[in-house]
Amino acid sequence: MIGPEFPAVLQAASRGDEAAFGRLWHDLQPRVLRYFMVAAPAAAEDLASETWLGVVRGLDRFRGNEPSFRAWVFTIARHEVLDWRRRAARRVTEDLPVNGPPERAAPDDPAAAALDDLSTRAALAMVATLPPDQAEAVVLRVVAGLGVDRVAAIMGKRPGTVRVLTHRGLRRLAERLGADRLRGVV
Amino acid sequence: MRRQPADPHADPLALDGETAERLLTGRLSPAQAPPGYAEVAALLAAAAAPPAPEELTGEAAARAALRAVTRARAAGSRRAARPARRRRVGLVAVVAAGALATGGVAAAATGHLPGPVQGAARSILVTVGSDEPAPPANPPRASTPGSGATGRGPASTGATGRGPGTTGAAAPNLKGLCNAYQAGEGAEQGGKLDATAFQALARAAGGREKIPAYCQHLLPPDKKAKEPRQPAPPTPGQGQGQGGRPPSGGGGDNGQGADRP
Repeated sequence: MIGPEFPAVLQAASRGDEAAFGRLWHDLQPRVLRYFMVAAPAAAEDLASETWLGVVRGLDRFRGNEPSFRAWVFTIARHEVLDWRRRAARRVTEDLPVNGPPERAAPDDPAAAALDDLSTRAALAMVATLPPDQAEAVVLRVVAGLGVDRVAAIMGKRPGTVRVLTHRGLRRLAERLGADRLRGVV
Repeated sequence: MRRQPADPHADPLALDGETAERLLTGRLSPAQAPPGYAEVAALLAAAAAPPAPEELTGEAAARAALRAVTRARAAGSRRAARPARRRRVGLVAVVAAGALATGGVAAAATGHLPGPVQGAARSILVTVGSDEPAPPANPPRASTPGSGATGRGPASTGATGRGPGTTGAAAPNLKGLCNAYQAGEGAEQGGKLDATAFQALARAAGGREKIPAYCQHLLPPDKKAKEPRQPAPPTPGQGQGQGGRPPSGGGGDNGQGADRP
């Protein structure tokens, strides 16, 4: 969060002030990258770059406060994911086996990895094993730090649906982690 | 070790909405978490941990993009005083350099270029804020049902439309420039690079000679992105509406996540 200075920072950045833009970037880039590590891990870095290109292009037209700016950035990010999935699907239907279908990059046993070493990367890989909608809802809440209503708007779902998705996601994580713990103990 | 719950009907992982919300907003430590959720709390804390240095690479590229956009925008507004038609033809001619063999400038000016080149030309026209109308073949963005509320209002056509709001909004589309650059590869590039738009690309790349590598980095291997794409920013109305929300307390990274009803 940038806080009370946000309006001034945003205004300066939209005029081309690099230092101000750098503050926006530093605040959101890690979150954006982590979102992609869950939603499109094979292309996380590329999609993060694309997202910032989109932000740069639209910056001077954006109006809103800091939470809505953050939601806007993640709206762009989500469009990148959707486009990427479409392209990935097209690659498959074009029968070009070069890259193969998109795969969720996850360690062999993310749960074990997460328990041994709670690195951010392992935690995200674990979240990425959830069904896609659940994973996306959880990561937008937890990592992007967005409220239910904003996540719902970004995902094109109702707030109640987002609550159900995150609830199921948390539960499933608890099941996976609990089963893993028992396996480790026995 | 909790093997079986004492009551077979009790749900050992029951989770109420309030607890779920505290987990999601990082306000529930593993020690406070209900049975079965300590690991989840730790996992989510790790997912939202402070950034590591390797997550903060790429700033230079983002700044370069900002620089290129800002300069091209300034150039675009300076040029806005000049007759639009001359500007357009000149730019199309530049972009069409790689297509001369197929009919070239005339075809470009009348919108009859082969697909890839047409796409590239369109990118550049968008790039410099030309008033070239959006081509009819421009496919509408696939849209997720219900997502319209998230800043995809009428303004979303701004990138290619003629609306008054787009005048002078000359954001260089670096990917578009790269597409054009690559579409024209093999043609004489010295002339192409004189165009303001390509100068922006050269600046973003850090020099003309670095453009190929820069574009390679910018464009995924399958040379996607014929269309400039980005969701429209929220309308002023939306922004103001959200601005009226009470500020989130706490101030932590997840502070605003607590804005549940």
